[in-house]
Amino acid sequence: MTSAALFATSAALGLLVLLGGAYGVLYALGAARSSPSLTGAGYACYAGQLLLVLVVCLGSPLASLWKLFMAVSGVVYGFIPPATWRLLDSIHHNQLQ
Amino acid sequence: MYRSQKLALRYFIAAITLFGVMIAAGLLSALYYIDPALLYNVFDFQMAKILHIDTLIIWLLMGFIGAVYWFLPKELGREVVGIWVAELLFYVFCSAVAVVAVVFVVVQYGGSNEFSMWFINQGRKYVEAPRWAAVGVVAVVLTFVFNVTATAWQARRITGVLGVLILDLVPLAVLYLDAFPKITNMSHDLYWWWWLVHMWVEATWEVLIGCLMAWSLMELMGTSRRIVETWLYIEVMLVLGTGILGLGHHYFWIGTPQYWLSIGGFFSALEPLPLLGMVVHAVYDAGTHHMKTTNRPAFYWVLAEAFGNFIGAGVFGFMMTLPQINLYSHGTQWTVSHGHFAFWGAYACGVIAIMYLVLQRTRSAEHFDSRAWKWGFGLLNLGLVGMVGGLLIAGITQAIYERAEGGSTLQAFVAASEHPWFRSAMYARFIFGIVFALGYFALVYDLLAIGRRAAVAAPTQAAPA
Amino acid sequence: MLVVLAFLTIDSLDASRAGGRQVPDYDVINQHIGYTYDWSRRLEVPVIGPAEPLFGRTYSLQEASGLMSFGKLVIQSRACMDCHTFFGNGAYYGPDLTKAWLDPAWSQIWMPMTGSSTREAAMVAFLMHPDQYPTWTRRMPNLHLTRAEAQAVVAYLKWMSAIDTNGFPAHFGRIQAQN
Repeated sequence: MTSAALFATSAALGLLVLLGGAYGVLYALGAARSSPSLTGAGYACYAGQLLLVLVVCLGSPLASLWKLFMAVSGVVYGFIPPATWRLLDSIHHNQLQ
Repeated sequence: MYRSQKLALRYFIAAITLFGVMIAAGLLSALYYIDPALLYNVFDFQMAKILHIDTLIIWLLMGFIGAVYWFLPKELGREVVGIWVAELLFYVFCSAVAVVAVVFVVVQYGGSNEFSMWFINQGRKYVEAPRWAAVGVVAVVLTFVFNVTATAWQARRITGVLGVLILDLVPLAVLYLDAFPKITNMSHDLYWWWWLVHMWVEATWEVLIGCLMAWSLMELMGTSRRIVETWLYIEVMLVLGTGILGLGHHYFWIGTPQYWLSIGGFFSALEPLPLLGMVVHAVYDAGTHHMKTTNRPAFYWVLAEAFGNFIGAGVFGFMMTLPQINLYSHGTQWTVSHGHFAFWGAYACGVIAIMYLVLQRTRSAEHFDSRAWKWGFGLLNLGLVGMVGGLLIAGITQAIYERAEGGSTLQAFVAASEHPWFRSAMYARFIFGIVFALGYFALVYDLLAIGRRAAVAAPTQAAPA
Repeated sequence: MLVVLAFLTIDSLDASRAGGRQVPDYDVINQHIGYTYDWSRRLEVPVIGPAEPLFGRTYSLQEASGLMSFGKLVIQSRACMDCHTFFGNGAYYGPDLTKAWLDPAWSQIWMPMTGSSTREAAMVAFLMHPDQYPTWTRRMPNLHLTRAEAQAVVAYLKWMSAIDTNGFPAHFGRIQAQN
């Protein structure tokens, strides 16, 4: 791997997870405050993350196994915030009853 | 207050003191990079480094042990069984740490013989403490296991959190036995060394802090037992599912077979996913309980824990964990950057949160707030982020100039270390280290002062009524 | 997962024992060691070459094993790992020692500087008195090694350079070829 590719790939991977985190935070904030604009910003971050996955898959020198992993985990990231939120809500809800 | 809880407070005092020693040794280690002639042949880099990383392990361990001694009698409604042994061993533990520190400072290292291994310095990263002291650590941990299990047995009561804790303490004690052998083959040595280092830090400690956070959340936000236990079980499953084989990312380059590149890469690349769930959980709790908490410092430190863990372990880890990148990043300041952020987020913030939680109970203050905790919180986190930022730049400089372009020889190492990016980054790291140290002083001041004034003020206000 | 780890551990320990698939036996110190790119595996691998005695002599397997055991004791007693890295593990103040035996700096810098005719002699001279042969602002401290201790460390480093580390550190061979 050339040093330029090393730097770019690593930065993309870090940004990818960071965008995933931003999606999680914004989605959860949006849900907590019932604010569609925050939830929307969350989805925008997720869209950015998917775009980065695409860039990494097409442009990075990573082995195809890792590109496949990126693509699958990119999809999984999408489900985690809503699923976690629903799970938390259902546990809390059961608890209140 | 139970005797066990008084012991917890003593453990916290020792932990915070060692946290200070760790920072001082860390600042000194950082200074060598700026002025390599410093204390040359008198007190060299390796000894400052040893003090820095060994006190890191011990202060966190003391924080954990203290926290368990605090929560245990509350959980079971009775005094801890064999508390006098625990009290005795606390002093033995502190004395042993002091003796080892003095030997590290004065004697430093010994000759090539078994005597050195037993009494001076074992020279294995994180477990440099001589064997006699390692025996002491095992004794302390075993007593601790005995205290916890015997108390549960006598109380005839077991809770989910306690059950997980007891099951976790067994490997915690057993894995430490790896602090003793001297294995000739470096590949085998590092293979088992990672069982100790990784399994302690990324498995048993992870579960231990999970148990402590479960108890803390019940106290701090009144979260119900069922909820925290459900989360704890999920966490244990994730640790068993990904953490154990995540061990594989340490087996890329130590002379172990090539299949570890795929296994280790895969399982450690999974790591950000559960951390994302935790971040969502933190925001959920913040949204649900923010207004109710009476302990803002503890609450903010818990939040710092969730976010620090996500960025330090998740983002920084993912940047460098795939083998193709790790080939260049491994063993540079990049690793140091990740290590600092992850340790801070995963453990240090949690231990500080628990200390605030405990202080609120001991000082029974209605108004548990201050200005100093904000200074401590702000400066420590700012200092940490600045340090890891500097280290990240230094590490990337090494990965590019020493590894990818230079070919990792001595001359390549020197060229990268003399690169302006690297040198500036080292200055930045030191300056932010000072910021971090200032934050420490604010933290210590606040831990001593918070809640006291309010406790005194309360009766005066109540008097006229 | 623990069961999987147990099986992998058995295999990994076998592969990485001295004389296993990845790690040569200790008497490899009697041979020439190189490091070149393997196109089939797409990474750099050590190449064990013809006989090349160390310190002018050939060690039996038993002698070599004893020397390695002593060398490791020296390495631990002086806490080398708290300045240097081995396979990238340790501290980052000094250079990585994984392939230190193959480093061109020994022949280019230290052989002339110490007036030694062989690489191993230069290494021993440096290790015994690192403060006398500075090459950079970060200097190795004098750890008071005896000649026997320094020789054991050199033998240990030669053996380590023959371990198959799945290509770590990268490009070491390329730079050597250029030199």
